[in-house]
Amino acid sequence: MMTPSLESLATCFQGLLPAQLYTCSRDGIPNAAYLSHVDYVDSSHVALSFQFFNKSHRNIAENRHALVMVPDPDTGQGWQLRLQYVGSETSGPLFDRMSLRIEAIASYCGLKGIFKLRAADIYEVLAVEAVPEEPAAAVGPDFKEDLAATRVPDPVFTLKALQDFSARIQSVDCLEMLVDSILAGLEESFGFKNSMFLVPGEEEGVLVTIATRGYGEKGAGAEVRMGEGIAGVVAEARKPIRISGLMRGMLYALAMHKEASDPALAIHRRRIPLPGHANPESQLGVPLLVRGDLVGVLVLESEVRYRFHEEDKALIELLGSYLAIAIQNIQMHERSADVAAEAPPEPRVNAATASASSNAPREVVYYTSDECILVDGEYLIRSLPAKILWRLLTIRESTGRGEFTNRELRLDKSLNLPEWKDNLESRLLLLRRRLEQKCPDFRIAPRGRGRFTLELACDVVLRMKQ
Amino acid sequence: MVDADLAAFVQQCVGIHIGTRNQRLEPNGARALAVRVEHDGAHIVVYLAEVAAKRILPDLQANGRAAVSFGRPIDDRACQIKGTFISLRAAGPQERAEIVAQFESFLTNLEQIGIPRSLAQRWPTWPCMAIRLKVTAVFTQTPGPDAGEPMR
Repeated sequence: MMTPSLESLATCFQGLLPAQLYTCSRDGIPNAAYLSHVDYVDSSHVALSFQFFNKSHRNIAENRHALVMVPDPDTGQGWQLRLQYVGSETSGPLFDRMSLRIEAIASYCGLKGIFKLRAADIYEVLAVEAVPEEPAAAVGPDFKEDLAATRVPDPVFTLKALQDFSARIQSVDCLEMLVDSILAGLEESFGFKNSMFLVPGEEEGVLVTIATRGYGEKGAGAEVRMGEGIAGVVAEARKPIRISGLMRGMLYALAMHKEASDPALAIHRRRIPLPGHANPESQLGVPLLVRGDLVGVLVLESEVRYRFHEEDKALIELLGSYLAIAIQNIQMHERSADVAAEAPPEPRVNAATASASSNAPREVVYYTSDECILVDGEYLIRSLPAKILWRLLTIRESTGRGEFTNRELRLDKSLNLPEWKDNLESRLLLLRRRLEQKCPDFRIAPRGRGRFTLELACDVVLRMKQ
Repeated sequence: MVDADLAAFVQQCVGIHIGTRNQRLEPNGARALAVRVEHDGAHIVVYLAEVAAKRILPDLQANGRAAVSFGRPIDDRACQIKGTFISLRAAGPQERAEIVAQFESFLTNLEQIGIPRSLAQRWPTWPCMAIRLKVTAVFTQTPGPDAGEPMR
């Protein structure tokens, strides 16, 4: 068999199957240890994560020879790489990539900050040899069927798909359509069926989900803190992250956590209440940045273990820049259109409101201390979207008016919107989606550029509480 | 040195690897199929496909040092037994069922984390060699800060 290149072993470096690291101390005692992940560096180097001062690490410090065995998750063929330690990196792109992966997986398990990458240990690959006791599986019907769920898909970012995607995005003229169009385009042009889009919230360090695709639970309004889960880690680092073999990684992180058990860490145990697959084997998170400003975070998921290529990450990062500019442009466009919009409409109760009272009345309570709204005792929304809804409902109650403009909200001192980058459109979009999911008796319906109506299919009792 | 609990763990559902080293202190390694802990807890027999045993035998015969790692895929519980080489023989037909059963239990455990057992359909289990080691130390290896600590 010809010696394969490291590039041809790309699937071995996804962390889908555990690797085995062999080292030897200066006094000749061999050591064999599990390894979660071997990282490809270049055509002649790999990197291993250094997280703990364990025996393997101590051995390498005194004897640079190592051997690592990695099975190919697509074929079952085992490969052994004869290695020589050349040095460690504690910063830079490789370190960041490995560190982010560990952070994202740990965070997914609610264990963020517990497992730090101390260094990316770099090894020169002296030889690559097939492991004779781990030959590749024969390709038969059973194996083909098994592989169908695991094999590496072909790259999806073809020029044609990119053109289709771009054309779709060019044709929309409001934020809501743009966001939906992006997620639909990711599925229809590239085959990414599960995705979500998050934007920075009003509260510092919080991201809010404004759109999802491919999940049973829509999840609009679901929040995640910076550094939590793949979206939070992407937002914090402002770098894309690709994770394969997430389940294995999570098991590894949980095993480490059990070993590092500390009662003080119990507060970190939680699951992030975002929509998503129960077992998201592959994830790709991309920050949408315009001149360093975070416009949003796009997350793609798959239950297939090796769904996203490294090239996918690079290309979707590029696509992310384009999407970020498109989003910012449409926000500016909508805002400039608001300036030209007419004054607030005359007080009148719209048709939907007039026929409201056929359903049972609903109690809307606004909690001023938390800035959140509960409808009939059930949480609806908080922060700026809650303040907007409360303002709309109180105007409607006091004046009978059901039609509003974005411009009047911008000028409304009680909402206290910032003069620049107020993100009003994304908040209205979030509010509309949240109402659709949780309170369909209330509906915010666009009425041309910068205008909308609040339609109520029931009477409303408003209460304000501390 | 290997108590009953640990013996039960290493003889079921685990991936097994044996590490050796040559005279230049370069490590070598091979996948093993099964292990048997002897009643005294002071000796183990590691079973490897013949093709795997051949690769590490020169090291064992030259210096006798060995390290055997055990890892359970579903929860990453792991340990390592260090030992010195005593003898090598061909595994007997009466041992075959136990060897295959242990290896199958490992494949089943892999399946539980989504790795199809067909991946290992051609990994040889027979003919098989039995390597007997004297246990010199036992270490925990479950990932975490205690990995590498002697097992108490």
